[in-house]
Amino acid sequence: MAWFSGSRDPAEEARPPGLRCQALKELLGALRPGARHAVLDLGPALSANVRFLSALSCRVRIADLHRSLSVEPVESRRPEAVGALFDRLLPLAAGERFDALLAWDVFDYMRPDQVSALMGRLAPACPPETPVLVLASTGRTIPATPLRYRILDPENLACEGSREPTRPCPRHTQPDLARMMAGFSVRRSVLLRSGLQEYLFVRGEGKEPARAAGAPRGASPRAPWFRRGPR
Amino acid sequence: MWNKREDEPVRPPSGTQGTLPPASGSERREAAGIGPSITITGDVTGDEDLTILGRVEGKIDLPKHSVTIGQGGRVKADIHAKAVSVAGEVHGNLVASEQIVIRKTATMLGNLTAPRVGLEDGCSFRGSVEMETPPPKGRVAPASPQAGGGATAASPAVAAPKPESAPRS
Repeated sequence: MAWFSGSRDPAEEARPPGLRCQALKELLGALRPGARHAVLDLGPALSANVRFLSALSCRVRIADLHRSLSVEPVESRRPEAVGALFDRLLPLAAGERFDALLAWDVFDYMRPDQVSALMGRLAPACPPETPVLVLASTGRTIPATPLRYRILDPENLACEGSREPTRPCPRHTQPDLARMMAGFSVRRSVLLRSGLQEYLFVRGEGKEPARAAGAPRGASPRAPWFRRGPR
Repeated sequence: MWNKREDEPVRPPSGTQGTLPPASGSERREAAGIGPSITITGDVTGDEDLTILGRVEGKIDLPKHSVTIGQGGRVKADIHAKAVSVAGEVHGNLVASEQIVIRKTATMLGNLTAPRVGLEDGCSFRGSVEMETPPPKGRVAPASPQAGGGATAASPAVAAPKPESAPRS
């Protein structure tokens, strides 16, 4: 019933699910042609993405955060241990700098205090105007594990991975993300037809991340700012 | 099975997933092997290809040859070789003059430096990838995919990935 499905071309129906991601285009556009760049990818290792970014003279650092966090013992994932956890999972060399960050949908799978600690840790390694690509789901559920986003070209991504089973979606709003990503501010926010909200954050236009001595970087994990409810 | 010669040279055990072809040279050699029950602590150097199914801690330096870490292999060492294939577990930095391949069964923690790097989907990898791709003579690799191409892992001067389809957002 073509009329019921929006009169889509059958050939179009056969295409793999994908995203037109203008934020990616803008992020890549921020990389100066000809210069060496360092890109931090918080997602899993994908050969296509490494190839693509290497073609842009990028050194690509893969963090594979979801997998790394999921194999950690429960004790090390406690809020009070989250600073030490990221010190271990994402060691930064002295003077290490990143020119762009690809967070994909990884933040949907992390606690707010973990995102705060992570971004507080990364902020000093990001010069002003460093772009960060974030995809946040607005649906009620998300796949149990993050999808893999394969870069097809500067503004198109292929989404891969199992969408079943699912888990509740944290439904991070823009203010939520802005609070978690102290030191970064939103430059671009677009709701895609897939239900994903794409964000492009940039470093240096928000407040600096506060860090008390001995405390994990970023916001207090006990701060009761995150609220959820039916929308 | 039939006509098997008793004096046939020992080959690396089957199941060494990710075995690389022997490094090219005037003389074809069998790869040396470190078996599953062997543990080596210290530096490993030599003049032939190496397959590791056991444990090695230290440093591996075979700049003219291939190093293969099979599925059961566990290496805690920096590796410098012509080509490296990892199907087991490696903690260390890999530098190869030709290529590095991380198989889907691999657990790799360290930095990779080679003109060509392959990461199979499903591999567990944390670290950085640096592809040193000097432009070949007579061909200039554009700096940006938007500009029409650039060096890739598979080929030093191949156009950037083209859209396989026009995805819907």
